[in-house]
Amino acid sequence: MELGGSGWIVAVNLIIWTGLFLYLLRLGKRLREMEKES
Amino acid sequence: MKNPLAWLLWLWISAVIVGAFFYAPLAQGFIGESSRILFFHVPMAWVSFVAFIAAGVWSLLYLYRGRQPRHDRAAAAAVELGLLFGVLATVTGSLWARIMWNAYWNWDPRQTSIVVALLFYAAYLALRSAVEDDNTRARLSAAYAVLGLAVAPFLFFIMPRIMFSLHPQSVINAQGKVEVESRMVQVLLAGSAGFTALFFWVHNLRCRIQALSDRKSAL
Amino acid sequence: MRNASSWAAEATAVFVKEWRCEFRTRYALNTLALFAFTTLVVVSVSLGPLGVSASQGTAVLPVMLWVILLFSVAAGLPRAFVQEEETGTAMALRLAATPSALFCGKLAYGLTLVLALEALLTPVYAAMMNLQVASPGLLAAVLAAGGYGLAAGSTLVAAIIAQARSKGTLFSVLSFPVLLPLLLLSVELTRLAVAGSPAGVALPQLLLYDASVTVAGLMLFPAVWNP
Repeated sequence: MELGGSGWIVAVNLIIWTGLFLYLLRLGKRLREMEKES
Repeated sequence: MKNPLAWLLWLWISAVIVGAFFYAPLAQGFIGESSRILFFHVPMAWVSFVAFIAAGVWSLLYLYRGRQPRHDRAAAAAVELGLLFGVLATVTGSLWARIMWNAYWNWDPRQTSIVVALLFYAAYLALRSAVEDDNTRARLSAAYAVLGLAVAPFLFFIMPRIMFSLHPQSVINAQGKVEVESRMVQVLLAGSAGFTALFFWVHNLRCRIQALSDRKSAL
Repeated sequence: MRNASSWAAEATAVFVKEWRCEFRTRYALNTLALFAFTTLVVVSVSLGPLGVSASQGTAVLPVMLWVILLFSVAAGLPRAFVQEEETGTAMALRLAATPSALFCGKLAYGLTLVLALEALLTPVYAAMMNLQVASPGLLAAVLAAGGYGLAAGSTLVAAIIAQARSKGTLFSVLSFPVLLPLLLLSVELTRLAVAGSPAGVALPQLLLYDASVTVAGLMLFPAVWNP
């Protein structure tokens, strides 16, 4: 995959997006646990 | 957000990202691949606008439906996120403007509107930080948000119309609806829907964090 | 249940009280006038020697006029509410007056201040800057409608910040986004008045803005004023 081509940009975008997504899910899970405690 | 819905959203936005680069055609009259950025710029500007309205609505609910703290939390969270998305929209728009018109900034009406919206968000947050008492803070910032809502139509709709606009929207749309490629519209709409869902998800998380924090400090 | 005439009496009483207090100290009048004329001198001295051409004049001078007005109002008007909180008279007012009458009284006070300032400033400004106005009627209308918007928006924001800290800077921060559409419309219309072009759609929009801010003010002021 050549650097700077469309495919490369899409790949980077998807990686960042998936990372953000997993973070949000984990955050939600942690919140649910904290809410159950209180 | 429940896991299946979240995964659906992940698929949706992934499809938007892929679609923005491979499915949608390049816009006519744009330089190179630069029109791709619009598929991110437009949805984010749209979300910023949604956030503005949402903050206004929650503020109205706070003032006139029992002064419930959750409405105040929701309004404040909406403004924070609106600011975030607004800044992102402004930056992407500015980068694209540099490519297209060789200038990062032109003060064309749409750009002016987004900047004023950002000023509103910042002012709202500044007001919140200047009031110590919880109830007073909620009341005053809710009033300011509703005032912003009253003034918003003038920013978003009336001004761009009376002034000459460099913005492509008026070029693409004014010349006839047929001009806009249906595939571009599809990706734009899909992107807007996806980002809006993302906004409400993050907003929900933010409200819950704030609620827990408020509960803890009340103890 | 209060009837209309007692409401009007209340609003008038507030208005009269504002001006009585004002004449005792003449704070707002002095502040507005001093600020306006100092800025005017600065503008005149810096632009004068450069010899602003007619076309440049049409572009630049209306903007400067409204900038001067905006900052003068920001300097002198908020005190109307801040002073109440500081001197403790706010509590008495909360008991004595209905919010809408209070708001209208304060608004009328602010409006007369702004109109007086405009009446004083504009002819001097036009004379010093050699500004030829083709449609003085339109200019008068813009000054009235725009001035009203300035006063109405500023009155409500002043009421909000009176209960917060860092009032001076906060007023400017809060009022600027609210007033910007007003300013842009007023500048646009002033330019048209100077050039002699028809007002077009901008004047109804300015009036619509005034109406919106008035309605918002009347609706929100009770929530802002009463805890």
